[in-house]
Formats: sequence, C-alpha cells, structure tokens
Amino acid sequence: MDSLKEDLKKQIIEQLNLEDLTVADIADDALLFNDQGLGLDSIDALELIVLLEKYHGIQLVNPEEGKEAFKSVDTMAAYIRKRKAA
Amino acid sequence: MIYVGAEVIVSPLGNNAEDNWQALSANRSGIALVPAAGFSGEDIHLARIGSLAGPLRFQQLIVNALTALISRIDAAIVPSNRTLVLISSTKGALDDDMNDQFNATCALLQQHFGLAHLPLVISNACISGVLTLNVAANMVKAGQYEHVIVVGCDVASDFVLYGFQSLFAVSDKPCAPFDAARNGITLGEGCAAVLVSGTGSVFENAPLELLAGASANDANHISGPSRTGEGLVRSVKRTFETHGVSADEIDFVCAHGTGTLFNDEMESIAFDRLSLADKPLNSLKGYFGHTLGAAGVIETAVCMQMVRNGMLVRSLGYTDAGTSRPLNIILKNEPKILNTILKTASGFGGGNASLMIRNI
Amino acid sequence: MKVITAYCNLRADRCLVNGEVVAERDPASEDSWFKQIYKKHALAYPKFYKMDVLSQAGYLASELIKKANPGLVDAYADDEIALIFANATSSAETDRRFKQSYEEAGTPSPSLFVYTLPNIVLGEIAIANKWYGENMFAVLPKFAPGFYLDYGQILSSSGSRALLCGWLEVTATGTDVFLFMVEERETGPAFSHDNLLQLSQAREAAAI
Repeated sequence: MDSLKEDLKKQIIEQLNLEDLTVADIADDALLFNDQGLGLDSIDALELIVLLEKYHGIQLVNPEEGKEAFKSVDTMAAYIRKRKAA
Repeated sequence: MIYVGAEVIVSPLGNNAEDNWQALSANRSGIALVPAAGFSGEDIHLARIGSLAGPLRFQQLIVNALTALISRIDAAIVPSNRTLVLISSTKGALDDDMNDQFNATCALLQQHFGLAHLPLVISNACISGVLTLNVAANMVKAGQYEHVIVVGCDVASDFVLYGFQSLFAVSDKPCAPFDAARNGITLGEGCAAVLVSGTGSVFENAPLELLAGASANDANHISGPSRTGEGLVRSVKRTFETHGVSADEIDFVCAHGTGTLFNDEMESIAFDRLSLADKPLNSLKGYFGHTLGAAGVIETAVCMQMVRNGMLVRSLGYTDAGTSRPLNIILKNEPKILNTILKTASGFGGGNASLMIRNI
Repeated sequence: MKVITAYCNLRADRCLVNGEVVAERDPASEDSWFKQIYKKHALAYPKFYKMDVLSQAGYLASELIKKANPGLVDAYADDEIALIFANATSSAETDRRFKQSYEEAGTPSPSLFVYTLPNIVLGEIAIANKWYGENMFAVLPKFAPGFYLDYGQILSSSGSRALLCGWLEVTATGTDVFLFMVEERETGPAFSHDNLLQLSQAREAAAI
C-alpha cells in the first residue's frame, strides 16, 4: 500500500469535510472532478490548494498546474513526489 | 393594480431615501477602506454604516427602517390583521445568536410595532430581496393580505467576509461591476423598506406600480453562475410574459452586477439573449457594496427614486467594457423620463429573480 | 383539487415514505444515518458526500419520494415543479462548522462557506433534477401548514403545476424532515391544514 496515497485520501476527506466518505471509498485512479468520481468542483479545488500547502508545504501558483495535478489521487501523489524531488 | 411606495433606505450613504439619493446624484460611494478587517489582518474595502455598532445591529437597522416607513404611510394599517411584514435576509442576527438568526428579531418586531402577524422571513441568498417583493405583490394580488411591508436587511459580518475571502471573491479595490478590471465583490450592509399595497391612498407620497416577476433556478451549480445565463433568461422572459411587456418597453435595467468575473459575464450573456443589451444599465454595488439579502430591496428603492427624479444614475466603478457581450452601461448621470424599469438578481443556490417598476 | 400525492418523513432513527418505513437507523453502523439511507437505496450521486446535512436530507427525501412513486415527476416540464421549503434554524448547523473552520482550524473553508445559506438545498435538488422552476426558502418558528398553503396557492396561479414542499430541520440535537408533493388530482388527501399536520407527524402512526 502506498502510504502517501492513503494519507492523501485522509487529507482530502478532512480538508473537504467529506466525513461521510472513508479511505476505501476513494480509488487511486478515480477522477476527482468527474461526476461519476468524487464530483468535486472549482470550490473544492481551492481546498486542494490549501491541502497541498498545509500538509505538504507545496505552493501552487499556476492554477493550470492544479488542473493536471488534481485529476486523481494517483496524479496528486505523482505531483507531490515530483515537486519534492525538484 | 399593485402599488409600491414609501421607500426607506438606511445605508452608509444616509438614513432615508432622500439622503441616499443625494449621494447617488453626486456619484458618492459608501465604500471605504477598513484597516485590518480581513481574515489575515488585511485592509479591506467595505460599505459599513459607521454609526452602527455593538450587538443587535440587525434588529436596530430594521427598527429604524420600519419606524421611518411608518411615518410615510397611513399608520393605522400597521397593526391591521390585513397587514403582513416580510423580511428578506441571508444571515440575520447571526452575530447575536447563530442558533436563532431570525425568530427573536421577528418576535421583537411584532411586539414593538404591535403587528397582528409575526413577520415572515425569506432567505434565498442574494435574490432574497427581489423574490420577497414578488411574494409581497402576489400575496396582495391573491387577496391573502391587503398590505405587505417588505424589509430587506443584512449586516456585514466577519463570518461572511471571511467566507468570500476563502472563495477569493473579495475585490482588492472598491468593486467595479462589469468593468474589464473587476476582481470581486465589496461586502456592504444596509436595510431598505417599502410598502406593497392594493390601496393607493395609504401612501403619503404617490406610489409607483409593482409588476411582480418570476424566479428561476439555473440547475447548474450552487455557487458558480451559469455559463449560459439560462436561469436569468427564464426569469426575465416569464416576468415579461406575465405582464405582456416586451424588451422594447424597458427604459432601464438595474442589474445585479456583483463585480465578480463570472457573475457579470453571465449577466451580459443573459441580457444579450434577452435583447436588452442596448438598454441603459447599471449596477448599484459600486455605491452600496453587496448587501446580500438587503440588496434587492435597496436597489429597487433606488430604482423608485430614479423614476421619481427622472434620472439615470452612473454605474459606479465602470470604465472599460469587460464582458464578452457588450452592454450599454451608464457612464454618467443623465436626466431621462423612466416609465418601465427592470430589476434583476442572481445568487448562490442558482437562484434568479426579476421584477418591474412602472411609473403611474 | 390540490392533493398530497407523496410524502417522506425523515427522523432521527427512521425514514418513511407515504407512511411506510423505508430505512431504519443501525446504531452499530460506522456510517452516518444519512449515508446509511444513501447506501441502502443504492443512490448513485457522489455529490451527496460533499453536501451539508440540510442538502443531504433534502436530496435523500426528494429521491426517496421519486423512487417510491415512479413516474411522479415525469409528467412535468423542467420548470413546472416549484420548491417551497422552510425551517426554524436556517443553516445554523453548517454556520457553526464554518465558524469553527476559521476560529479553530486556522482557515475559513470555502467548501463549508458555500453551504451557509438555507436555500442551497433547493439549488442541489434543482441541479440533481435539472429543474428550472420557482424556489423559495422561509424561516419560521415552527412547521406551519398555512405558509405552504398560502404560497402554494400563489405559485399554482402563476404557472407552477406541481409543488415539492419541505420542512427541513437538521441540527446537532434532532432531525425533523417532512417533504411532500402537491399535484392536481381528482381524489386523494387534500392539500389542507389538517392533512399537513397529520402527515407531518407520520412517525408516530407507523411506530405503533
């Protein structure tokens, strides 16, 4: 199990006040902003930007970058690893 | 005929409609930079009423506005069983008691003014004011009440300011509705009251005609404006149809115009679809800020003053076109005889509402 | 005449549609009561998880009414069903949580802020159903049939052919939700003061 991805799911649930969801409800590759996935929207994207800064110390300045990074838990984890490695 | 009159406006620009009108005629804004008002201690532009302080601000504002209104009508109707008070507000007395934002205020108003019925609160985000005026007109038309007093009121709280800050929706300068450089709202506070009645003789000064309109939901997003303006288009279309009025007859449009990128863009698309793009149009948010549940009543009261004074008021904060569909935004005050005017509102929850005021 | 064609009572421990129990709370479950209902009825609308409690309650009750009464809403155009809702405490429960986000958790939460208005539930129901009709939310001291009767009369005379009405009180201490559909029919329980009072209390009848 990828602990970063598990942490991310917990952080998403916490940050977005989704306490009805559990980590098991979010698949690694589920599209976060798709209506069949988690159904997040632009307001939630603001929360994800806060999440990246709060838990991972990553500041996101270009919203376009966020669009790519926030596709799924998989892409978020990859983005965090890339930023930390740089 | 449904009459509307005896308008009262309590805002940073004054405590009655006439003082507010003086300020508007001089294009004076109620917005000022308030030091350290923001969540992180930033200076924020707000339209706050300087003299309003301490607890029970919501209640104080309504009592002041209602007292002023009663002095402009036949006071004998106030305690009548055929009279109802409607209150339009989003957050009411939130700062006093989060768990009872309205009911204590209503009980106090009933007692203080000797009302036969407990006031009824309508809370539909930013369309509350226009919606409540429509409800009032429909109640009178249906014969449920003979007179309905409409009060719109909201106070500027940290709660709401921090919320709009969290959405990155607060302007870093006085809001600039429809302008190319607009970047958000300016929060305001205020209260307005009008009497809606089927009897013209209860008004001290001549009333105007209120043509009640329809509301329509965007069915699109709870906090983001529709990309197509669908709900606003449907609302205005039905308002026109109900009264057999066409877009040609509209002399002026008092838009919602919050000053956010997406709201103003949505409105420009809707007005274009409604063939209203060439009508003189303004947003009054540059004077009062966004007063949420009070906005529709304050702005309708200003519309009434515009009709009475025969003057189009400049859309403060606007200089350069900043929407994909061009609009005829009023650049300077201009005398004009106004017969029929359209007032619209759109807000969170996807709501849109509209009404018309007509000179008699 | 105007008839109450369907209704749902959602209380702290059970949920009824047309007087029949459709869900009972499992106190041993880790899921919230509303999530239990959502899962039990196999609803598929992930936005549900993002909603605040008022919106969840309104969404659930409206979906359950539709489920138990197939075809109920199909007879109407997308703007002919008006929504008339009310409660006593506005959005106080979510207001409290938003205040907590900036007073205790450090940052005002945008995803909570957008639910700090009582009429948001109307928007959620409109979005879920693509309904463009009239919406109104009022704050009253308690459930008052006269409010729905008066305003229902107004909307019916201005083009709304059906009404979905609701009393929606969800706080930390209690759940009192009553949604009902009003339509034009020849027979059935009339849209009246007494019937509304009686049906709003349907829990007691079924619990015996």
